[in-house]
Amino acid sequence: MTSKARLRSGLLGLAIAVFAPLTGHAQMAHQHGSDAACEGTELRCATKVTPFFAQDGKLWLAWMAGGRVSVASSTDAGKTYSASVPVSEQPLNLDWGPDARPKLVVDGKGGIAVAFSIFRDQAFNGQVLTTRSDDGGKSFAPPRPLTANNESQRFEALALDQDGTVFVAWLDKRNRAPAKAAGRSYDGAGLFFASSRDGGATYAEATLAQDNTCECCRLGVAFAGPGRPVVMFRNIFDGGVRDHAVITFSDLATPGELHRVSTDDWQIKACPHQGPSLTVAPGGTYHVAWFTSGKVRKGLFYAHSRDGGRTFSEPLAIGQADRNPTRPYLLATPEATTLVWKEFDGERTTVMVMQSRDDGETWSKPRAVASTDNASDHPLLVAHGGKVFLSWMTKADGYRLQAIGDES
Amino acid sequence: MKRAVLGLVIGGMVACAASSAAAPPALKPFERGSWREVLRAHAGRPTLIHFWGVTCGPCKIELPQLGKFMAEHPDIDVVTVSADLVPNLNAATQSMLDKAGLAAAENFIFNDGYVERLRFEVDPSWQGDIPRTMLVTRDGAISTIEGSAEISDLDKWSSEQGRPQ
Repeated sequence: MTSKARLRSGLLGLAIAVFAPLTGHAQMAHQHGSDAACEGTELRCATKVTPFFAQDGKLWLAWMAGGRVSVASSTDAGKTYSASVPVSEQPLNLDWGPDARPKLVVDGKGGIAVAFSIFRDQAFNGQVLTTRSDDGGKSFAPPRPLTANNESQRFEALALDQDGTVFVAWLDKRNRAPAKAAGRSYDGAGLFFASSRDGGATYAEATLAQDNTCECCRLGVAFAGPGRPVVMFRNIFDGGVRDHAVITFSDLATPGELHRVSTDDWQIKACPHQGPSLTVAPGGTYHVAWFTSGKVRKGLFYAHSRDGGRTFSEPLAIGQADRNPTRPYLLATPEATTLVWKEFDGERTTVMVMQSRDDGETWSKPRAVASTDNASDHPLLVAHGGKVFLSWMTKADGYRLQAIGDES
Repeated sequence: MKRAVLGLVIGGMVACAASSAAAPPALKPFERGSWREVLRAHAGRPTLIHFWGVTCGPCKIELPQLGKFMAEHPDIDVVTVSADLVPNLNAATQSMLDKAGLAAAENFIFNDGYVERLRFEVDPSWQGDIPRTMLVTRDGAISTIEGSAEISDLDKWSSEQGRPQ
């Protein structure tokens, strides 16, 4: 199979017309650019921060800093935090890929399940590790592999079922070696899943939902109803086309049919490093957002499905096309569906927000809610008690949990 | 204007220092302004600029093919840029370049945590997908290949570049 390279033309003249600053050569010392503000394991040094509101209203954070995943909680919506607890004794070679981040869910009894990826060898093969706290985050069990297979796993996503079962989906390269041994080519990675009935202490045997999906993008996972997870992912369709798909499970062990979200026709033999976002509204509507650079459309898009993920609405372009709209995140609450994303103007990164009060039919005018002038994590959303919050880690300004008002 | 001339002089000195060293030149930091300096330093010469990363599966396959391409096309300047957001992975990057036969190319590694800004300087529409190859002709026209390049396409492009007038 050959990939068709897409040629685009530009003009060098434009690029070299401006004087080049001399800072590049002035800093030849071996000082590496970092997306972290500091080297320690504390929150302000984090590059990736993931929030979770427990049922009791306590905000939990898991973050990646100083080679550790650490966890802390806040009872005042992010104003102050408990002492942070690293989940591993030793620093680890954590997966720093653009779409990687530690995950956590907290069940109704206060049990905390955490999952994250490490690079387990020099070839950057990944391994997903999981751990659990039974004492309210004071200590964590030694992290252990999610699956016995030791090929390569990355991009785990956790979701909590109503009964406290932890569902996990991830991308797994275990089918690559057998395919190659049999003389077959193998593209991408398998979408695997498992669940845990003991709050993340142990997980059932890994099962394949879909083989040959794109290997380097985060997954979107949500529940369509009790026991019915939905996974959205960048699939590899015929001809190496990396467009998005959803699979809705009929129960925790049974993946349903694959349905294509949109025909963008992004044929590319590359790692886009841009995964989708999925949320399911209380009424059952699937809301999805994704990035593509396909022949049919390019940029950031939103769509919804009102038939359980079988068909999707016409993609709606999001954001200002000349400002790189990217990193979407959706959250449906009983009051509204909220979408945030990043835009970049050449100097500054801005988080934009828009909301729909009619289940995705119409949207408020996009509004800037936060900005920074250095590296930043993807913007995320969490909700509790009828309030929606932006969760965003930035190198220059630290972590913020910011209430999002009524955008209508 | 003085600044521009000084830039050329410094660029030239760095290039000379790199080519006269016995050991392969170390990875150069790719920072704010580096893109314009690369274009300036290679102006008037057909240049292939390849963006890749150590964790990118398709890149691992393509890199040795580019090493072979460079050996077979001494008239084309080859520049590589490791464009992962990499904390302290110079050794892995250099090792993969060495194995791919690209040690003698002009090799850069992203050295600014604010990757959005680095990418924006290269191409405002680039969202970070790798591999990515940019082909620059003698007169400065740039073609971008998103994803793995077909070596036959690179050969064809190379044959179209001709000799200096």
